[in-house]
Amino acid sequence: MSILEVEHIQKSFERTEVLKDISFSLEKGQVLSIIGSSGSGKTTLLRCLNFLERPDSGIIRVNGETLFDPDAPFSRSEAEIRKKRLHFGLVFQSFNLFPQYTALQNVMLAKELLAKEQPDYKTRKKEIHQEIEAQAASLLKQMGLADRMQNYPHQLSGGQCQRVAIARALALQPDILCFDEPTSALDPELTGEVLKVIKELADKKTTMIIVTHEMAFARDVADHVIFMDDGCILEQGDPIQVMEHPKEERTKQFLARFTQG
Amino acid sequence: MELILEQLPIVIHALNIGFLQTLKLFFVTLIGAFPLGLIIAFGSMSRFKPLSYLTKVIVWIVRGTPLMIQLLIIYYFPGLVLGNPIWGGGETGRFLAASVSFILNYACYFSEIYRGGIQGVPVGQTEAGLVLGMTKTQIFFKVTLLQMIKRIVPPMSNEIITLVKDTSLARIIALQEIIWAGQAFMKGSQGISGAIWPLFFTAVYYLICNGILTLLLGRLEKKLNYFR
Amino acid sequence: MKKMFATTAALMMALSLVGCGNTASSEETTATTEEAVTEEAVAEETTTEEASTEEAASAESDLAYVQEKGTLVVGITDFAPMDYKDENGEWVGFDADMAKAFAESLGVTVEFVEIDWDNKIMELDGKTIDCVWNGMTLTDEVKSAMECSNAYCNNAQVVIVPADVADNYQDTESLAELTFAVEAGSAGEEQATALSLNFTPVKAQSDALMEVAAGTSDAAIIDSLMAAAMVGEGTGYADLTYTIGLNSEEYGVGFRKGSDLAAKLNEFFAASYADGTMMECAETYGVQAAVVEQ
Repeated sequence: MSILEVEHIQKSFERTEVLKDISFSLEKGQVLSIIGSSGSGKTTLLRCLNFLERPDSGIIRVNGETLFDPDAPFSRSEAEIRKKRLHFGLVFQSFNLFPQYTALQNVMLAKELLAKEQPDYKTRKKEIHQEIEAQAASLLKQMGLADRMQNYPHQLSGGQCQRVAIARALALQPDILCFDEPTSALDPELTGEVLKVIKELADKKTTMIIVTHEMAFARDVADHVIFMDDGCILEQGDPIQVMEHPKEERTKQFLARFTQG
Repeated sequence: MELILEQLPIVIHALNIGFLQTLKLFFVTLIGAFPLGLIIAFGSMSRFKPLSYLTKVIVWIVRGTPLMIQLLIIYYFPGLVLGNPIWGGGETGRFLAASVSFILNYACYFSEIYRGGIQGVPVGQTEAGLVLGMTKTQIFFKVTLLQMIKRIVPPMSNEIITLVKDTSLARIIALQEIIWAGQAFMKGSQGISGAIWPLFFTAVYYLICNGILTLLLGRLEKKLNYFR
Repeated sequence: MKKMFATTAALMMALSLVGCGNTASSEETTATTEEAVTEEAVAEETTTEEASTEEAASAESDLAYVQEKGTLVVGITDFAPMDYKDENGEWVGFDADMAKAFAESLGVTVEFVEIDWDNKIMELDGKTIDCVWNGMTLTDEVKSAMECSNAYCNNAQVVIVPADVADNYQDTESLAELTFAVEAGSAGEEQATALSLNFTPVKAQSDALMEVAAGTSDAAIIDSLMAAAMVGEGTGYADLTYTIGLNSEEYGVGFRKGSDLAAKLNEFFAASYADGTMMECAETYGVQAAVVEQ
């Protein structure tokens, strides 16, 4: 069974149709890259998966459980949506770290708030806190930020911030981790360190969806590539097939811009 | 000069009592207007249009009319028009009416500052919180609030310092704050009459109070400088 | 978030209710103590009373109203020797002492409330005070807006000038060249208008004095009783003096229009004049020469 099944997602803003009948699936442990020019609907698709946008129609299933169905009443309940969105993690283009917290606190915050809802929270308060802190510290170490844990976001470089953001998303152990152009806001010399971390995650069989403009990276890391154009999936398949032998004219044009530039 | 030295203890005592009233009104206003302003800010940002329009009209009226008129209306209107003097004639009633007027007035000013502060926090912060499974309330208190406070401290400081001075308006409904106490010696009070200097001397109280406030607010601003 | 909006709405409504009076809320309040019950009863009674007196004169109700609540709220300003605070912070003075005695005769306690003189009619009509008893000159305006007692004191409006130039201003013609400060709405302002003087209205008689002391006005017109107490050697305004009296006038006590308390006070004045207590009181504060025979 696929870990993620997306069926017939459709989304319009005002009168513009941004997503037109999007369907795809993803296997556990695989990496999906979504490429395409700006305005093709890639980011909106990611935002739909993370419930930051509400699709007009279509169904989203994770591990066979229906997370979203516009006709189902649970898709309107904030509390339900809150639970279901935990299946996904999202790393933003602009990091969106919380500036008033240190790197470590950024990673711990959400987990600590969730822990408060556990029935045994009051009795095991200290223990739980220590567990969360240990997990956060190990994640940051994994991101190569062992010496940056007590720094505030404004004291970190863009690449470091984005690695904190990845650790923050990983802390909640999502089934699927989504990246929305994770290196677009970075100086070119800083993209490498972030891509390296994502590559390591891929090697550990983390299920990921990566929206990116880094074509070489997409081909290198992805198991599956989707090319989006004007709200549609124009072409999909394994990276070699889509990126080196594209069938569609639009795909060829798009890729040509990268190989030339 | 000798005369002033003679009058000094009596005058200082009276001014202290007046200033206590000033401070009481100041703190009660802050305690009431801080939360009420936030509620009004949420009201004006509500997606429920009637509520948002209603709050905006209230803010418009309160900010568009002089505080002095609001004091007169809130204190005298119930007795004059409705035949029911809910505040009564005593000092407590006058203080309550003044508090209500000041809280309402300042809450409306604060609400606009809050609104700017809240809307100034990037939407990405809320989205990051949502994606991490936080509730909207958690996001407000754990993420947005402090960033908002950092943004609103400078404009808030201005309002707070203005408030100290605005309390003197309450003497229109005969609340005996410090300026009233100072003026009393011009007419004659406690055996001192025709003394003008106590009125001017009240300025010293305002200066010291605002000096302390400026220091404290400056320190708060500095304290919030640990993040950007 | 939704909760917050709900609270907002509730608060807004609560605020708007404040303006609508508290008849409804006092009915809703569940009385827990006996005191609360009586309070509520009184509140309801007064509201029904007020409703019925909207057309009929409030003649019967005002005395009853004051006796029911048990206090006579007297609106005053700090105005020696009529109403002022002694060393203990007690209100004393010819007016204050008489007011205490009058309240006692009604069987109620007296409460002195300092008011803004400009708002005295609003305070009366809004029932935040029950009378104005503060050396108030009985002008036509006062008489038309309030139910006034008989005059109990004589007074005059006098011209205040710096002592060193006082000799030049001993007749009304000479006043034309001066600029005046007078209390807004006072008898002094009436005189200044009648004589077509060049004047600035200020908030209080004491402000008018300050104007002269500061040189921002050449002269002021104030009550002679006040002038006697506040101007000249041994006072705060040692360099000022008063020259000519412009008119003679009388002090009275003002009640709400149509109030029966005015007649009640006239009886009280007559009785205390007859038994000598009024003169005794006047002598304490040095105004015996000004007291009007009752």
